[in-house]
Amino acid sequence: MKLKWEESGLKAPLARAKGLGSAKEGSEHWFMQRVTAISNLILMAWLIWSVIHHVVGASHADFTAWLAAPVNAILMILAVISVFYHAALGTQVITEDYVHHEGLKMIKLIGIKLFFFGAAVACIFSIMKVAFGG
Amino acid sequence: MAEFKLPRHSRIEKGREIDAADKGAKRKKKFSIYRWDPDTADNPRMDTYEIDLDKCGPMVLDALIYIKNEIDSTVTFRRSCREGICGSCAMNIDGTNTLACTKPIEDVKKTQVRITPLPHMNVVKDLVPDQNHLIAQYNSIEPWLKTDSPAPTRERLQSAEDADHLNGEDGHGPAGCILCFCCSTSCPSYWWNSDRFMGPATLMQAYRWISDTRDEATGERLDQLEDPFRLYRCHTIMNCTNTCPKGLNPAKSIGEIKKLMVTRK
Repeated sequence: MKLKWEESGLKAPLARAKGLGSAKEGSEHWFMQRVTAISNLILMAWLIWSVIHHVVGASHADFTAWLAAPVNAILMILAVISVFYHAALGTQVITEDYVHHEGLKMIKLIGIKLFFFGAAVACIFSIMKVAFGG
Repeated sequence: MAEFKLPRHSRIEKGREIDAADKGAKRKKKFSIYRWDPDTADNPRMDTYEIDLDKCGPMVLDALIYIKNEIDSTVTFRRSCREGICGSCAMNIDGTNTLACTKPIEDVKKTQVRITPLPHMNVVKDLVPDQNHLIAQYNSIEPWLKTDSPAPTRERLQSAEDADHLNGEDGHGPAGCILCFCCSTSCPSYWWNSDRFMGPATLMQAYRWISDTRDEATGERLDQLEDPFRLYRCHTIMNCTNTCPKGLNPAKSIGEIKKLMVTRK
């Protein structure tokens, strides 16, 4: 598909500059990237502190018992959501920046959404399995 | 996808070396200038001209004019006002986009002053880039006062404080832009996505009208910019502010637009 902003000898420069018009979105993406950056900062600080104090050197039983505690399980699920949401938003931006083949870009953008959503669900399921004594 | 090498016909070759300075000249300097002629099949080349600085003015533009007048009349570049207000002589000098007329030769400490056209633009000839798309993008933001209320019988009034939003308290506000496009062509995001990203120069001008208290189309202007590419390709790299030869701050204007986008939610 030849898009309106692509090079064409006779295309009026203003038609190229206007392209397909404004998508009327983008601020939500930009805002959520900042929101998840803040939540990442808090949750990662908690995660690093937890790994040092509760995970390093702990036995499997100790670790699952720690993770099964409601506060830890909830914070871990929040960390998974925050990190994967942020990663999906960020990799989308990188793809839009650098992939210029429209078809390839679409495949990547769909792939990113499916992968990060799937990975987040898998992680959350795992945490719940431990938390509910699976 | 990313290209790591220029196309075969765009690769820069070594050009001629012309020593045009007298043997007894005390202040000699070499100017290495990008040359490409659309009327020949030759690749672009860097021609080097060595001149006596005592015979020309202090700015890089003075040297270019001296070379064109006295040595090689085929050297092609845009220039007009020679005092940094028309924006014609924007080019890349010693690795930075700037105006040749306000850039002192003395500032370049290297033995050679390397001059190339504004980066990542189609070249018309030598140092002249094709600005059609940049100008069209500027036109697309409708850079004029838009109102719905009936025209007053006298001037539309604005307080001095409100005018400061446009001119800046220090004179470095968005209205100080001369559209030389040094900023847009220094922006990596603009290099990769100039087809859809507006670029810092155009976005700063959009903000110039958004922040104008006399303009009544703020919402429409924001609507037109609310787009992942038009506005949000800006990743606050700040090359624009770094390179602006007028000392303006396009990055701040873009930041203000992003803040307004969230404020109106």
